[in-house]
Amino acid sequence: MTQNEVPIIELKNINKHFGDLHVLKDISLKVNKGEVVVIIGPSGSGKSTLCRTINRLETIDSGQILLEGVPIPEEGRQLAELRSKIGMVFQAFNLFSHMTIIDNMTLAPVDVLKMPRREAREEAMKLLERVGVADQAKKVPAQLSGGQQQRAAIARALAMHPKVMLFDEPTSALDPEMIGEVLNVMTELASDGMTMLIVTHEMNFARHVADRVIFMDSGSIVEQADPEAFFSNPQTERAKIFLESITRN
Amino acid sequence: MSKTPSIRDMLYEEPGPKTKKQIRVITLFAILLLAALLAVVIRQFYITGQFAPRYWYFFGRWTTWRFLGQGLLVTLEAAVTGSIIAFLLGFVLMRGKLQKNKIIRGASVCLIEFTRGVPTLLFIYFFFLVVPQTGWKLSAFWKITLPCAISACGVVAEALRSGVNAVPKGQSEAALSLGLTKTRTFYKVVFPQAIRFVIPSLIAELVIVLKDTTFAYIVTCADLMQNAKVLISNYDAMLSVYLVVALIYILINYLLNKLSDRLADRLKQNPAERSAA
Repeated sequence: MTQNEVPIIELKNINKHFGDLHVLKDISLKVNKGEVVVIIGPSGSGKSTLCRTINRLETIDSGQILLEGVPIPEEGRQLAELRSKIGMVFQAFNLFSHMTIIDNMTLAPVDVLKMPRREAREEAMKLLERVGVADQAKKVPAQLSGGQQQRAAIARALAMHPKVMLFDEPTSALDPEMIGEVLNVMTELASDGMTMLIVTHEMNFARHVADRVIFMDSGSIVEQADPEAFFSNPQTERAKIFLESITRN
Repeated sequence: MSKTPSIRDMLYEEPGPKTKKQIRVITLFAILLLAALLAVVIRQFYITGQFAPRYWYFFGRWTTWRFLGQGLLVTLEAAVTGSIIAFLLGFVLMRGKLQKNKIIRGASVCLIEFTRGVPTLLFIYFFFLVVPQTGWKLSAFWKITLPCAISACGVVAEALRSGVNAVPKGQSEAALSLGLTKTRTFYKVVFPQAIRFVIPSLIAELVIVLKDTTFAYIVTCADLMQNAKVLISNYDAMLSVYLVVALIYILINYLLNKLSDRLADRLKQNPAERSAA
């Protein structure tokens, strides 16, 4: 951690409205190299939107987004280039449904990084091996279980050698028995030192894997703390109410 | 129930799943109706002497079939060429309509609505009567193929656009998040999926182009219809010739529809959902 001065991701005073609704209220946030940041909060708090603004899948009204100190522009070639350094995993997996898993893996490395096809394939197979779906490489996404699809989607993002991985509720669309396999892959990734920003409802995972927990409510960051402190002794009233409401179930 | 059951009895009193029976009855009824209709037609033909050998003997000559075959070839050529042009124009218009630039989008919308709204026949007359006056010399083949293509391109554009809109947004978001540009995202991820959704409607449009080419006689292009008209005046046999030609058109369009089903099945994303054949 020599570059601790320049954060991987820095958000400065992000504001966003959906019509009259102020969904992101002056959000500022830094994610340092190797850090695992988990964002939690009630639904509609803007945590997913925040995650999607980082690589500009959501537009913002004002504010700045920086990747290693470089501002990410609103559109154009440079945006595409910077996006390629930010891996993203979606709730709905979003594997390209007309392609086999292996083609899903190699599309961007070949198209964006201009990697030779064979090299891309070899690396893709290693990644698929790592997430445990190498035997599914020749199938199309619809033939895989949800958990397998999400693990392949994580591998697809990793194939671009991202500086940071964003996870937008990666287990929310999964059956309970498949959540574990995806969280295991993510835990392993975190222990390998990947910088990660994760939006999730998995409180156990947050507690054990996160370096820092961010609690959002109605468009604002309400509380930031290390997980142990946050879960055992939340400072704000809203965080207390939220934690009570989820532990009651 | 010892009496012969009437249709009414079968509908309301026979045991068994109701819907299943209804379908059976309606099918039977339809078959009977069709048979009756056919009988009337055949009887009428017979009375008016349409079965007389002089209306049919020339179908025994292979030159007749060669002549019709030549026409059919021109028809197919015009339909395929016209469809390819319609697809290319439609693709450009679809891209135009999905652009952010207001002028490009507006122009595309106007062209789509214009080509969709104007009947094919008017385009044909335009190419037949107006275009030659500008000094642009076109062969009869292009005088039928171009108007058919233009008249279809707006519909093709709309079909393609509906396909593009049917591709889930997450697909393009995933491609963009991997660093693909908007253009690459469209060609690599969105369009290949969109085309799968719209193949049936594109083939339906091909059938329409094929049928539109029957206007070829207006510009004296020797297609199947035009050659049929020649046969009719040579042998003074209208009904028999039209009947045979209609059967040929029906057969071709039937085959096209079969092809469409096959293709749609082939392109299903999950191989497990494809039918065994």
